[in-house]
Amino acid sequence: MKTAGVIIVFLFGGLLVYGTLDFPDWGDPDAPASRHVSPRYIEKSLEETSVPNMVTAVLADFRGFDTLFETVVIFSAGLSCFFLLRTKRKAPEARFYRHLPTGIVLRIEKGGRLPEGSVEFERIDSIWVPHDLIIRATCRLLIPFIQLFALYVIAHGHHSPGGGFQGGVIFGAAFILYAVTHDLRDGLHRLGEKITIVLCSLGVFIYAGVGALCLFLESNFLDYAALAPVLGVDPVTARSHGILFVEIGVGIAVMAVMFAIYTNLSSVGKQDEGL
Amino acid sequence: MDLLVTFFLVCGLVIFTGGAVGILRFPDFYSRLHPAGKLDTMGLFMSMIAAALFTFKAFSLDAVLTGLKILLILVFVFITSPTATHAIVDAGVRANLMPWTKTEKRDAA
Repeated sequence: MKTAGVIIVFLFGGLLVYGTLDFPDWGDPDAPASRHVSPRYIEKSLEETSVPNMVTAVLADFRGFDTLFETVVIFSAGLSCFFLLRTKRKAPEARFYRHLPTGIVLRIEKGGRLPEGSVEFERIDSIWVPHDLIIRATCRLLIPFIQLFALYVIAHGHHSPGGGFQGGVIFGAAFILYAVTHDLRDGLHRLGEKITIVLCSLGVFIYAGVGALCLFLESNFLDYAALAPVLGVDPVTARSHGILFVEIGVGIAVMAVMFAIYTNLSSVGKQDEGL
Repeated sequence: MDLLVTFFLVCGLVIFTGGAVGILRFPDFYSRLHPAGKLDTMGLFMSMIAAALFTFKAFSLDAVLTGLKILLILVFVFITSPTATHAIVDAGVRANLMPWTKTEKRDAA
């Protein structure tokens, strides 16, 4: 059976390699992919959309439908993670509290909890939790810069590598870093579960909404030039602005989905405690 | 100026090489972290200084801004690299990993 598997793998691998021989050479200007639309994108993207970064123009304008459904894929990834993993939060068997002045950890059995507003105790995870003052302080210092950089990547996607997906991932990573260095409850306190779900659908809604707005303004779906009268600019600049709106939507969706997947995976769906 | 850039670059590369050898050759987890931490700080310091000097050579506003951004990389790496090393050591302690000793008696632990 094992040898049969090896033979099949090599047979199909060989067929695939044989198939690649028919491909055009790397960077061949006569390749079918670069004969029809590519020259047009290269020559016209700047004058039609006033976006210097050709990749962004192709991604969010010429192939806007593709990117819209990519965003939907990410949205459904977050949603399926939620539906697969999220379980009902049961009261844990025991909670652990650390007395901050002395460092003694108390284990409180089922049902018991500290009175509200007790400041000398801090609830900790049931796995071993070190005193990580250095890591927390460093992350408090870094997270604002990471978030600022994420916004820069989103907003500067017109001119440099970047855009909604990358910026959204960086923004989500800032939240994940916060949840890792503090704990999951603190992270969820900053960006709650309901808010992440609202945000990831809001991101897709912004993208599709910009497209639908073009439809209402008597043009094609996702034809940003139709937004010109609303924005008060010429159609070329309107396409540039339309790309920005869409990128913002993508950024919001990706950020929220990143954090939702992290919280569900790290806490095995209980959203209670974890990494 | 070119001489200075080359000098810093070579210094950085020497430190990187030494660090890489150290990561491979040191006996245990904690001592391997020592060259790993050194790489990020001193090696990157030298090579980034070289890169910044190289951009400063064409003295214009753009070049100065680019150089400052390169120096900003240094600032962030200087903050994060020691913290990362600290966190990794914490993880090692948490996994009950004993430091290596010459007697090799405690390896079984």
